[in-house]
Amino acid sequence: MAEILRMTALSPTMNEGRIAKWTVEEGTEFSSGDVLCEVETDKASMDYEAPKSSSLLKIILPAGETAKVGDPIAVIGRKGEDYAALLKEGGSAAVSEEKAGEAEPSSMAPQKEKTVQAKATQESQPAASGVPKPAQAADARNAGSVPLHAPLAPARLPSSSPLARKLALEKGIDIRLVRGSGPNGRVVERDILEFAEGVESSGGIPMGAPKAPRQEPTTVQPNMKRLVISRRLSESFFTAPHYYLKKRIRAEALLELRATANVGRPAKLSFNAFLMKIVAEALVRHPEINVYWRGPGAAGAGREVAAALAAVTSAQPVLEQRHSIDIALAVALPDGLITPVVCDCNLKSASEIDAELAQLIEKARVGRLAPEDYEGAGFTVTNLGSFGVDEFTAIINPPASAILAVGSIVKEPIVGDNDEIRVAQTLSLTLGCDHRSIDGAVGAAFLADLARMLENPAMALV
Amino acid sequence: MAEITYREALNRALDEEMARDERVFLIGEEVGEYDGAYKVSRGLLAKYGPRRVKDTPISELGFTGLGVGAAIAGLRPVVEWMTHNFALLALDQVVNNAAKLRQMSGGQLSVPIVFRGPNGPAEFLAAQHSQALGGYWMHVPGLKVVAPATPADAYGLLKSAIRDDNPVVMLEAELMYAWKGEVSDQEYTVPIGKARVAREGEDVTLITYSKPIRVVEEAADRLAEKGVRADVIDLRSLRPLDEETVVSSVWKTSRCVVVDEAWPMASPGVTVANLVNSRCFDALDAPVELVSGEDVPMPYNHRLELAAQPSVEKVIAAVARVLYREDL
Repeated sequence: MAEILRMTALSPTMNEGRIAKWTVEEGTEFSSGDVLCEVETDKASMDYEAPKSSSLLKIILPAGETAKVGDPIAVIGRKGEDYAALLKEGGSAAVSEEKAGEAEPSSMAPQKEKTVQAKATQESQPAASGVPKPAQAADARNAGSVPLHAPLAPARLPSSSPLARKLALEKGIDIRLVRGSGPNGRVVERDILEFAEGVESSGGIPMGAPKAPRQEPTTVQPNMKRLVISRRLSESFFTAPHYYLKKRIRAEALLELRATANVGRPAKLSFNAFLMKIVAEALVRHPEINVYWRGPGAAGAGREVAAALAAVTSAQPVLEQRHSIDIALAVALPDGLITPVVCDCNLKSASEIDAELAQLIEKARVGRLAPEDYEGAGFTVTNLGSFGVDEFTAIINPPASAILAVGSIVKEPIVGDNDEIRVAQTLSLTLGCDHRSIDGAVGAAFLADLARMLENPAMALV
Repeated sequence: MAEITYREALNRALDEEMARDERVFLIGEEVGEYDGAYKVSRGLLAKYGPRRVKDTPISELGFTGLGVGAAIAGLRPVVEWMTHNFALLALDQVVNNAAKLRQMSGGQLSVPIVFRGPNGPAEFLAAQHSQALGGYWMHVPGLKVVAPATPADAYGLLKSAIRDDNPVVMLEAELMYAWKGEVSDQEYTVPIGKARVAREGEDVTLITYSKPIRVVEEAADRLAEKGVRADVIDLRSLRPLDEETVVSSVWKTSRCVVVDEAWPMASPGVTVANLVNSRCFDALDAPVELVSGEDVPMPYNHRLELAAQPSVEKVIAAVARVLYREDL
């Protein structure tokens, strides 16, 4: 039967979404989980995955247009099915309000059912007390809806007497931790008293039973950005075999370079701009670092989906040599991490890189970063120096193969060229590499060159 | 203080009230020449004469209505029903006249009358004569219903009933007339609407009224041997109900068993259970248990007749359930 496909809320704050593009054409079949279209919100671009296997009969909302959550975007159903009536009755009706609020109740319903099932399973065992079982439980059994792999009872309040509940409250006992001895496991007064006695005699509160009234944890549905971060970084971390190379370098020359370049500038060029410029020069000399690994299971997003899908379907990994030096900088924003990309860093001056970074960060801050602004990096720099972090490891930003983690500049005693001990400003570099595409020696050679250039920026010129 | 029977206690109360107030008179089947079907009115005809002790034909609706009329006219009749089973014939006079006239007359009329007689199953009396009908009266606003379980209360409550300016129905029991108990030689009354705490305990509240008190007392004795101390409440009045005594007891014990020889549907017992549920909900550690008469017309077979009524064993089993114990 044909049905309307609607814009779904991909985060609690999402009110509307723009179709970036349809990845499935009208008249074609798709399977559950296939990406039907890409939806952009003000935060990021998300794949709209097919909720079920069907075929796309009609696109209601063409690419580039925006729809409110709950508004129809397409018709799906059997090929050749007549959906005219469907379009007439519900296709244009705005149901945003109900739909937006629907997520919770509909996700509650099956859970409720589970509770009954779990209960039925429990009660299908003979009750030792001989207390008659509630008819409801019998009904659930007769309905034959109890799966063999019935889920464990969800965290719900156990059956308990009012007195037991009152006592538990007074004594600050989480009643869910108490084993009930009454009919059907009902928690009664003596169970609470025994539990409380156990707590006292054991000289403490058992795990999970705080003295103060318990405040339940609150849950928040992650916003779309966080979902993207979660998906991409999990894929990267769990599929790319990471290894890390560490190097501590002297930072004086770099600092001096920056200080010199900033003389007379009303707005100082950022440290990161210089860092990226020199990283770009190192990448020019080490193109083997500037590669994408695309293989079965390789992560990709946005406009890279097609290439990634191609790799997946071919089931053959592909090593993609990149010819432009596009470097991303990890930027922390209140609502999550974003990695704006400065393209062709090797062709730009530090001031150009800095200006572009400033522009991108501002765009990110107001949520106006377009996919092309944060995708397509061949290398990423992440700098936690401003937080005083000495050194750290980072997760590769897929499908790129390497990431540079930069720590804070600290004063340290070092052994100088003439074996003298002196105080120097140092900086820690940690290069994370995907071993599938970059071997250890290759990564090490790059890091050595990069370190040398950062310690002696003049080397970047030759 | 003398030990007298329930029958003698009622007789003494009638005698004293008739002597105290000459508007008081007794009317019913066999109350005069025969000294009462159960000898409650023994000697009263001889003492007060036929003007104040009136034998009637077998016509419950007639003589009950006569009593209601006399009460409206200013007398204070005591109507004896040979049993409450027969009083079903008089329902209309009690429900539609006695209970309603004060309200419907805007307070201009009052009906100071007592209806009394044995209620509930006795022995070998079969279905039509073995029924506990207290709920029929308790159901009706405008009536007061008392059900004394001891000679002392029978004496004190009958006196209060006779002195009350409203219609009062009194539930006695054939098997209780011979029960003996201490009754003060001093004149006294027992207030209507006040329960009696028959014994005090902390573990469970047993609530009953009228004849099942002995079953409950025996159950309480047997429970005490097992270390379970029961609060036993004898309601004495079904309407008005002494809510405070019931509620404070259950708040103390957290467990409640109601024992009522009436059928379980729409009965005094379920009314009390509902009271406990609504006012003691947070105190309860177990659902209120009701031990009632079985939901059948009384069988004539004696074994079945006994099986259809509350018993010590049934009460103890219910107590075991509310205590979550299997060793009682």
